[in-house]
Parts: sequence; C-alpha cells; structure tokens
Amino acid sequence: MTREADPEVILEASHLSKSFGGKPALRDLSFTVRRGEIFGLLGHNGAGKSTALGIFLGMVEPDGGEARIGGASVQRRRARALRQAGAIFESPAFYDYLSGMDNLRVLMSYSGGFDEEAALRVVEEVNLGDRIHSRVSTYSHGMRQRLALAQALLPEPRLLLLDEPTDGLDPEGIKWFRDFILRLREERGMTVLFNSHLLSEVEQMCDRVAIVRQGRKVYDGRLEGIADEEMTLEIEADPVEQARACYGRLGGRELGEEGKVSFPEGTDPAVVARELVEAGVNLRRLTPLRRSLEDVYLEVTGTPEGKEESS
Amino acid sequence: MKLFLIQLRSELRKLFARRRTYIGYGAFLILELVILWVFHLDKPREEMGKILSDAGLEVDHYYSALTVTYWMLGFSMAMLGAIYLALVSGDIVAKESEDGNLRMVLARPISRLRVLTIKYVAVLIYTLTFVWFVGVSGYLMSSIALGWDGGLFVWNYELRVFSFFPEVTTGAGRLCLAMLLLSLSMCTLSSIGFAFSCLRIKPAAATILALSVLFVDSVLQMLPFMAPYKEHLLTHRMSNWVYVLENHVSWAKLAESYTALIGLDLTLFVLGWMAFRVRDFKT
Repeated sequence: MTREADPEVILEASHLSKSFGGKPALRDLSFTVRRGEIFGLLGHNGAGKSTALGIFLGMVEPDGGEARIGGASVQRRRARALRQAGAIFESPAFYDYLSGMDNLRVLMSYSGGFDEEAALRVVEEVNLGDRIHSRVSTYSHGMRQRLALAQALLPEPRLLLLDEPTDGLDPEGIKWFRDFILRLREERGMTVLFNSHLLSEVEQMCDRVAIVRQGRKVYDGRLEGIADEEMTLEIEADPVEQARACYGRLGGRELGEEGKVSFPEGTDPAVVARELVEAGVNLRRLTPLRRSLEDVYLEVTGTPEGKEESS
Repeated sequence: MKLFLIQLRSELRKLFARRRTYIGYGAFLILELVILWVFHLDKPREEMGKILSDAGLEVDHYYSALTVTYWMLGFSMAMLGAIYLALVSGDIVAKESEDGNLRMVLARPISRLRVLTIKYVAVLIYTLTFVWFVGVSGYLMSSIALGWDGGLFVWNYELRVFSFFPEVTTGAGRLCLAMLLLSLSMCTLSSIGFAFSCLRIKPAAATILALSVLFVDSVLQMLPFMAPYKEHLLTHRMSNWVYVLENHVSWAKLAESYTALIGLDLTLFVLGWMAFRVRDFKT
C-alpha cells in the first residue's frame, strides 16, 4: 500500500524488529533516508545492519514494523518498492560459469527486461568494458564489485543499498568505489544507504549516520558536527582534585582515558585554562582534541575493544 | 507472458550453461553404449531369442533398434536417470541459495512465487528434454548397430505387459508415447527434488532426500504384504508408462495414474513454495 508520505523521504524504516531463533537481531529500529542523501548505517559485525538491509529488500520478514521505499511498503508492495532500489552485497554472488554480460542479462530479466545498449553504457561507466564478455570465474574481487555496481545501476534506481561494499577491496579499489558513489549522488542525485563497519569510509562518504548496537539504534544524526558536539581537551594539571572541581564548574566531565575531559559545545579552551590557573592549579598542558567519528562510535556503542556479541 | 518467457529463457540459460549438465549427457551416452554392448553379447541374445521364439515371434525382426531402445529407456532411467534428475532438481533452488545467487535475484522486483514458478518450469523442461535425449540417442545408436528397421517387442514381468508391434512406424509411435509418459513420470521425481530444494538445506541433502523417498517407495513395492497397496505407491505409478506399450491400451488406467502423479507434482510445488515464501535470506 502506498501511503501519503513525504516525497523527500526515499527510505523509511519504521519500528523494525526481528528475532532469529528467539535472539533479537533488530529492536524497534526507525530512521529515514532523504532524497540525495548518503546515509551510513554503522554497527559492529552482528549489530543488525544486514538484517535491516534484508528487510529493506524483502528478503527478511520483520516480526514487527515496516520498511518503505518511495512510499511503497516493501512487505506489502514488494515489487513496486524494489523497482526503485538497486543493491550491492558484501560478496556479490554471480553465476561464475556465465560471462559478466550474461549475468547482467539473467539478473535484468527479473527487473523487467534487458537493454543491451544500456548495459554496455553502464559497463563502460564502471570500467568493465574490456572484460564484460569473460567468465565471471576469471574476475577479481574488485571486478565482481564493479559488476555488482553495474547490475544495481542498470534498472536506474532512485536508491542504492550498499552492504559493506568496500570489504576486501584494495585501497585503490576503495577509492574508486567511493569516488564513483559520490559522483552518482552529484550527477544523478542518487540516494544511498551505506551499510558498513568501516568508520573511515562512512566518515568520507556519508552525510548522516545511524549507529546500531545489538539491533537497537543508539545514534541518528548528521555527520558534520557529530564529532564536535562536545569539546574534548587533554589536560595535564595538579592537584587533580582542584582541577576536577574546575571541570565541574564548567560543565566538564572526565572521560575514561587519563587526562581527557569533555566540555559542552562552544566551550572556549582559553576559559578553561584561565579557570584552572585562577583556581591555583598547576597547568602543565592543555590540548584541544577533535573527536573523530570513531570516538563517537565507540562511545555510543560502548565497546572500545570493538567486540560485540553476535546477534 | 512475454516477460515470463524471457525469465524462463534466462533460467534455462543458467541450467544449460553448466558444464555438469553436459557431463550428465555424456554419462548417459556411455551408459547406452554399455547397454548396447550387453545386448550384443551371446547370452542376452540367446535369452531374448528364447522368449521371442517361445512366443512364436521372429527373433531377427524383433531383436531390433526399437526393442533395444525400450530396454535402454527403462534401464538407464532406473539406474542413472533418477540420480541425475534428483541432482539437478535438488540443486535448482538450494544451490543458488547456498551460493548466494538467490539474494541477487530476490533483491529485484520479482515475487518469490514467480521465481519458484520459473525454476519449476525450467526443471520440468529439463526433465522432458533429458528423457527425450536418452530415447532419441538410444534409438540412433541402436539403429547404427542393428539397423533402423524391425518391430518392437515389450516384456515387463512386474506389470504383466507382453506385447509386440511388427510395423516399425507403429512401434516407433508407441515408443514416442511411452517416452512422453516416462518424462511425466520422471517429472514427479524432479518435483520431489524441487520441493526439498526449497527448504533451508544443502543441495546434496535435497538430492539425497529425494532419492531416499524413491528408494523407500521402491522397497515397499517389493514387499509381498504391500501388494494390495501397490496402487498407492509412487514408484508403481511412475512405472505405468509401460502400459502405453500394451497392444490394447487401457487409457483409463493411464489417466488415473497420471492424474495422480500430476496432482502430486502440483502438491509438491505448493509445499515447496510454502516453505520458500517464509524463508529469510540473509548472509
């Protein structure tokens, strides 16, 4: 069913929940992706990102909630919803015994038909023109990923769903992929949902992120400024007790790591230094730190070792 | 409909592009050569000659390409055909599911029912072409060895069929009808493999389960106390293609058997679809 929806919202996850064998994989996950946005879905391995993607593509049936693409419910109007989306998986599985072009021919037959001219155009775009008639079994991982990109782009989707697309690619391949996605957004206004645990990739590509932990959304917001919502200073001062009192007066809180203190957004480091000196604290060092996305990610997921029980 | 045909062509392209498909065809040609060689040995020739002469039939006329083709069909389908068709039908969904190809397919705007229908029709087409390949290649090889002429002699002790067709055209026509019904019989085996293939199991498991069903059913058929219930057994119904080779065909008996088999095929398809539609596909 198509419901009255904000035409600017291309993808909407609404209260999605899913369990596998009684173990929750997603818990009440909601977010929206707007037209022309590159949206990152971040989380550890097993956090529920691929389950969410499976639900968006109608491959996983949610226990509760609904996913909509372009206003059409994936659960109730699957074909209509998926006509607007293209997807790439972490390890795209092609028919290895067929050529790249035959794979496109087969896959496009499920999307309403194959147009050889359009296929050749897209194949050139993804730099696969010279090998498209070779068997896929002879392709490198990078070439497979470019073929995956071609099959996703051929139906001219409005939304591209990418599940860990740069995993296993060499640095050159990662850069090519990133530039290509950014160009797609720039030139075609493509909306992209980028599912990854590679923070650097997300940082370089995404406008907005949702961080998922144990199936639950723990952060959702714009990327620009995410790292600067708070001001973190690295301070070396004594006596410590006196310095702590000063931090408290300025709304600061000590982070787990030694010497790191977080202050509310907009706090001037000079004000902190003055407060400490005026309180008679011996200030040896004060360095402003910019929190990286990684810091935020580790903070909200609360697992600095990067370990997460699988779900 | 046009789109369905395009999708079916794609499915058949996948099926027939596999090297394994042709290895299977090659294996059958070798098996047919072996059967042909066995028929050339003195002992089998003598045995058959005795049966024919006891029946008052001319040995040279009925020891022919058509007769050998009939035996080839029966032997090769029972010995290797069942294994091979169970392998292909057990693979059709489960292999793609295991390899991850299905995720690429299901990410497209196509319903699961349609995906399964295309695959099922492809398996049925494969089964039909396979049986016909065995029949036609068997006849060609037998013709080269024995000459194309001669009558058709059919003998099946289990089903109490003993018939002969002196004219080559009549015999060939009957054999074509038999091949058609044998293909339908084998479609039931393919349907069993297909239904198991729709479950969340490995392709090899689907094949083994399909063959197990067939094996258990044929063992039951051999048990003396199961004789009154033979009509309910799958392998008995599947062997009923031989009845079309009787001199006086009992069409009602054939219609009953094949209605039951086609009904079972459809039921298996629905069961497969019911299992497939609720499955989650995720890495």
